[in-house]
Amino acid sequence: MASSRWYIVYVILFIQLFSTGVRGARSYHPLSSQSYNHAKQPLQTFRPYNIAHRGSNGEIPEETTAAYLRAIEEGADFIETDILSSKDGVLICFHDVILDDTTDVGNYTKFANRKRTYEVQGQNITGYFVVDFTIEELKSLRVKQRYPFRDQQYNWKFSIITFEEFISIGLDAKRTVGIYPEIKNPVFINQHVKWANGKRFEDIFVETLKKYGYKGSYMSRNWLKQPLFIQSFAPTSLIYISNLTHSPKILLIDDVTVPTQDTNQSYWEITSDSYLQFISSYVVGIGPWKDTIVPVVNNYLTTPTDLVARAHAHNLQVHPYTYRNENQFLHFDFHQDPYAEYAYWIHKIRVDGLFTDFTGSLHWYQEWTSPVKDVKSADALLRKISGMISSYEEP
Amino acid sequence: MASIWNISILLLLVFGAANAESNVNQEAKKPIQTFRPYNVAHRGACGEIPEETTAAYLRAIEIGADFIETDILASKDGQLVCFHDVILDDTTDVKNRTEFSNRQRTYEVQGVNVTGYFVVDFTLEELKSLKVKQRFSFRDQQYNGKYSIITFEEYITIALTADRTVGIYPEIKNPVHINEHVKWSNGKKFEDIFVETLQKYGYKGTYLSESWLKQPIFIQSFAPTSLVYISNQTDSPKVFLIDDVSIPTQDTNQSYAEITSDGYFSYISQYVVGIGPWKDTIVPPKNNYLTTPTDLVARAHAHNLQVHPYTFRNENSYLHFDFHQDPYQEYDYWINQIGVDGLFTDFTGSFHLYQEHTSPYPKDSKTSDDLLRKIEKMISHYENA
Repeated sequence: MASSRWYIVYVILFIQLFSTGVRGARSYHPLSSQSYNHAKQPLQTFRPYNIAHRGSNGEIPEETTAAYLRAIEEGADFIETDILSSKDGVLICFHDVILDDTTDVGNYTKFANRKRTYEVQGQNITGYFVVDFTIEELKSLRVKQRYPFRDQQYNWKFSIITFEEFISIGLDAKRTVGIYPEIKNPVFINQHVKWANGKRFEDIFVETLKKYGYKGSYMSRNWLKQPLFIQSFAPTSLIYISNLTHSPKILLIDDVTVPTQDTNQSYWEITSDSYLQFISSYVVGIGPWKDTIVPVVNNYLTTPTDLVARAHAHNLQVHPYTYRNENQFLHFDFHQDPYAEYAYWIHKIRVDGLFTDFTGSLHWYQEWTSPVKDVKSADALLRKISGMISSYEEP
Repeated sequence: MASIWNISILLLLVFGAANAESNVNQEAKKPIQTFRPYNVAHRGACGEIPEETTAAYLRAIEIGADFIETDILASKDGQLVCFHDVILDDTTDVKNRTEFSNRQRTYEVQGVNVTGYFVVDFTLEELKSLKVKQRFSFRDQQYNGKYSIITFEEYITIALTADRTVGIYPEIKNPVHINEHVKWSNGKKFEDIFVETLQKYGYKGTYLSESWLKQPIFIQSFAPTSLVYISNQTDSPKVFLIDDVSIPTQDTNQSYAEITSDGYFSYISQYVVGIGPWKDTIVPPKNNYLTTPTDLVARAHAHNLQVHPYTFRNENSYLHFDFHQDPYQEYDYWINQIGVDGLFTDFTGSFHLYQEHTSPYPKDSKTSDDLLRKIEKMISHYENA
């Protein structure tokens, strides 16, 4: 009789323990990525980085979970995103400051009175601004493919995701996939969104990354486990966060007519040798618009500038944007062949990474022309040939 | 076990063979590849340069074509020329020529009234005075006004003087229309002159025969009676072109369904070695997505007929969404999933790169030639990597 009472006690204790376990499920059943981090295929570092610009947005609406998963499936080294903030200070993945062009915001009567006109980087813009919507409201929207000439079949199926959701996609991948988030329109964001304790956009941005364990300078052991580039068009944001994190940073550079949003400096100033010297204390590379590296006239390439050579001389990587397969984006020198464009930029101009809307195409190109395996030494090749000859039998 | 010395000698031989490519001697020419699907440069490299010009054909050869393709029509004075349309309006400057302003006509061609300046109403000298332009406005316009129409013989000469073996793929184009409007002496018709021209330049031999490998050729036409007619005159391999599902044959008025039936394949396979269908009839698209492939390729193959579909283009407006705007994905699908034997492409360079990277040499080396060529490829691949 006593034994059965003890039995009941054990059962009750067991159930208690089990319930606690279920409530704190994360500690009992960690994500596979967190348990087996050490077994993941590492990031390749021997050839230029394949950066999936807004995910695989050539196929799937930009900056959605599906677009990022597809990019990883197709071979991206890094998945790229633009970070903005909702009204209530939640960091989200979204490119435009307005929701008009890539969501169904215009269909909601409850949002009909949210249209505003604000000045952004010296220009008046009218629309439904991200910063005027809470995260719950943003999540209620559905996104669509930006370009009408791309696949429309996923329109209205997907939602906007948060910075944390984006990070999780990167970390949960079966192989090591880097993230490449942008501190987007920080001047504008900090004007419209306020955080507690006097924190600004850049602070929350870095805190989010640190929460998920992103740390370490470029090519350090920590970095190789969780690769990351932080990008921005605003140099002061990058300088500001260099006190907060060692993670490598990239200065984005806009077209020749567009000054920086925070320091109002011209293209010519920020690409001068002295500026590159200055900024190389804070960033590991630059991300220019490709048509400023090799200017174009009547859709033909002209002589390349020396920007890449000078950047390399300052030990700065060059990751130009943006590569697209559609022939309207391809200069005639490439005869409507996106792979010819990759060949030019990788082998002639020798960039260190590329932002592409078509990560699958770049991956194929790289696998063909600089594959991960079969980097044979001359010795190994000769041995293989000798084997083929000696085993050859006259038919 | 071959020693390092043996390998060095062999490598020297291989490099020696590689350098011999520059020798124009027909005997020493690098042969045509036959181990992977044929890269047929549709109208030359017309993605880059105005179609069917010397420049377009030279460029196609430069970037790796196995065959250069053309359409043969006839001038008023019976000269065979390389030109695709029956009218000159869309790809030449004929409309700007005041001396020809009264030449516009309306004729019925394949049941449709066509109005324009007809090739058959101009002598060769007049045709030669025109300048051609790039057909598509979204392609490179820089060569407009620079080049002329060329003759069948000039086209053949381009192929024969290439420094590697390049095949030709001429079409007996609109023979019904041509024979209506152009007469030759001795009761000869268009098809006779066509074959005579080929024979004048030594084209002969069945598919893969020694003669054929020296001067590869496919003769194509949409008109089955033309192909049947010339089979008495030449054993050169012929390919039967098949238009869209709604278009009957111009000579026998037979429907797509009839000429792609098993019974018809049995019949026509006595005369042709293959068919050239429009690719959207093999795998019908809907809303720009591929649907289930038909069994056309399987049935053609069952009758020992090759399949060379047309036409592959890089521009995204021609690519179904399944290929996400990547022409190489399209090549991959047609080569690996559908299994065609050749394809007509406006972008021979892109297709060549695809093939060089995915099937650079034959899997099994049979002869010592094969083995040496395979080794040559491995070395150049290693050097490029």
